Amino acid sequence: MNFVSNIKSNIAAKRASYKALDSKEKAAYWKDALINNAIYILIIIAIIYTQSQNSYFLKTDSIVNIISLSAANLPIACGIAGCIVLTGTDLSAGRVVGLTACISASLLQSADYATKMFPNMPEIPIVIVILAVILVGGIVGWVNGFFVAKFSLHPFIVTLATQLIVYGVLLMYIMINGNNGQPLSGLDQRFKDFVTGSILSVNGVPIPNYVWYGLIVVVFMWFMWNKTTFGKNMFAVGSSPEAANVSGVNVAMTTILVHTLAGCMYGITGFIESARIGSNSATTGWNYESDAIAACVIGGVSFVGGTGKISGVVLGVFMLRIIFVALQFLSINQNLQYIIKGLIILIACSIDMRKYLVRK
Amino acid sequence: MKKKLMAVLLCVALTATMLAGCGGSDDAATTDTTTTEEATDDAAAADDAAEEVTDTAEEAGADLSSANVAVFYYTYADTYISSVRTALDAQLDALGVTYQDYDGNNNQTTQNEQIDTALAQGANVLIVNIVTSGSVDASQAIVDKAAAKDAYLIFFNRAVEDDNTVGQVLGSYDKVAFVGTDAPEAGHMQGEMIGNYLVENYDTVDLNGDGTISYAMMMGQLGNAEAIYRTQYSVEDANAILVENGYPELEYFDASNSDKYQVDQDGAWSATAANNYMTTNLSQYNETNGNMIELVICNNDGMAEGVISALNVAGYNLGTEDSTLIPVFGVDATDAAKQLIADGKMVGTIMQDAEGMASCISIMTQNAATGAALTDGTDTWNADPEVSNKIYIPYGTYTGEE
Repeated sequence: MNFVSNIKSNIAAKRASYKALDSKEKAAYWKDALINNAIYILIIIAIIYTQSQNSYFLKTDSIVNIISLSAANLPIACGIAGCIVLTGTDLSAGRVVGLTACISASLLQSADYATKMFPNMPEIPIVIVILAVILVGGIVGWVNGFFVAKFSLHPFIVTLATQLIVYGVLLMYIMINGNNGQPLSGLDQRFKDFVTGSILSVNGVPIPNYVWYGLIVVVFMWFMWNKTTFGKNMFAVGSSPEAANVSGVNVAMTTILVHTLAGCMYGITGFIESARIGSNSATTGWNYESDAIAACVIGGVSFVGGTGKISGVVLGVFMLRIIFVALQFLSINQNLQYIIKGLIILIACSIDMRKYLVRK
Repeated sequence: MKKKLMAVLLCVALTATMLAGCGGSDDAATTDTTTTEEATDDAAAADDAAEEVTDTAEEAGADLSSANVAVFYYTYADTYISSVRTALDAQLDALGVTYQDYDGNNNQTTQNEQIDTALAQGANVLIVNIVTSGSVDASQAIVDKAAAKDAYLIFFNRAVEDDNTVGQVLGSYDKVAFVGTDAPEAGHMQGEMIGNYLVENYDTVDLNGDGTISYAMMMGQLGNAEAIYRTQYSVEDANAILVENGYPELEYFDASNSDKYQVDQDGAWSATAANNYMTTNLSQYNETNGNMIELVICNNDGMAEGVISALNVAGYNLGTEDSTLIPVFGVDATDAAKQLIADGKMVGTIMQDAEGMASCISIMTQNAATGAALTDGTDTWNADPEVSNKIYIPYGTYTGEE
């Protein structure tokens, strides 16, 4: 009840302040609102246009597909968002996804698969594999955070370095036991069921389980960002490390934790991708960070630091996926797709920065 | 220890297949679908083979110690190239030459710098898997580097010239040779395999019974000669066979897409890209809507695997009696693809002979070390009719154990 009355009074206050504006200010208000929400307006137009051209676009099948594609990308985006809030970035994300995907696959190959990487390994419980890949991702993240925090290195440099290191480890990993760089597949049925199976169908369209995992990750990250000291510290450090330090925030610890948490998220992404794609090689995960970073930026997580919302990240991820699917439904030429994607990122960033320029 | 054992086993297996290749006539290439496993099983033959290879190496009287070999791979991430690397490492070990491997990491600049470094270190046999495929400028630059130091140069796998510049690079230096595949051949063979499969199973494949087969095409990379040939010829050749047998041509599933392919936007030939495309396709084209995709052609096996994962989620290609099989075709014959074919989840793939390529390169390395002409003893494989130092390792079709 309290919540509802809060919203009501909020709206009332906003309406009152809007009424207080004169006509010129009112025009400016609408112009600002239009520009600040331009990306959402464009997306809505795009959805309407796509639907008018191809009526399958908003059918259950297609919507479930968009949700699933987005859900698979949520953990990595939520992880990387924390790094961006700290004015940093994480270039190692994709390779960590690749490494953890290959680890998951190698540990969960079906017992009767002919070219199993570890032929004599007993069946491992899925929970242990999840914990293992979260740990591996977490370790890489911790290393990132440690060097960023303790040596004041820019995350760009640190994660560029760890990206290479992780890639090297990944290449070695897929060569061991005579696997010789062959893709890791032949996954255990219980692993596939766990990730791509379905416990709920809408209109006869099964929703893959990893959608729920994506949802759990979002709720967890929302909690971490908004309801914990860690989250508040993260935003404080992102806005101004000096101010945070003076206020008694342990800047180094916060930085390390943000990166470690991000690493854990990449581990989860790797685990999901492993079963979702079903074939894991050295190229798995490559370039994933670029989509994740783009999603965060489109969703309003700013490189300026200290701002961003989990809901924004989710929106950003959805937008990128909607664009991907819409372009396919419209059968847009591949070359044009690069240009459109680039333009959207550019526009989104410009709108985002505009807010800060105006404020200054 | 385990690793070493595997290496030895592989080496034995490789030499066995190599000998099988050497001993056979021209048609050996097409019938020789021996897998590594089979070779390993045949332990006795393999042992003999290993001995014989050592013998030939000794007979050649080879003091191979003068050879300082440097091998440049375009990227370690490529599945097929990894197989070649494993095979070639084993063979060079068996030859007893000193060699070093380099990873170009898909960057021509990096590779050129690595070549400079290797030459500065005194490398006199360069084995190069060039990054920029089919560019005369890129390959000529490497030939010039080698010529300046009078080093032997063996290009492999990725093309160094295109159709208009045949012999331009390979004819410009006397210590250069090329071992590769005839890029269009994979596309032609895939097309033939698809055409024949469809003619035999036309009514089963045509799920909606409208008389035409609608297909999807997964392309690995834009602007890559092999991807382009495979995308083009697989459909053209399949169509030719269909028409010959009185069937209509294949129809791309999305009539409004004039490209008639879906390409990995990162150019990585990745299973992920294929999977994302296929799940999105299936959300629009399915049996409920009566427009199901009835055939999927992929540029490589990785993409085929991604497609099959997507089909599995939708309940197809489960390899069981009651699940519908959407025929999926790839190229490479990776272990994973062979397993999928054995499980009835995939129909066929084109085999690139990694061992054959490695054997040919190692023969050339031996020639370089002993000062013989590079192409000596490589006549079991076909040379290009116009350029004698361009050796083609044939592809083979793979549709399961015969």
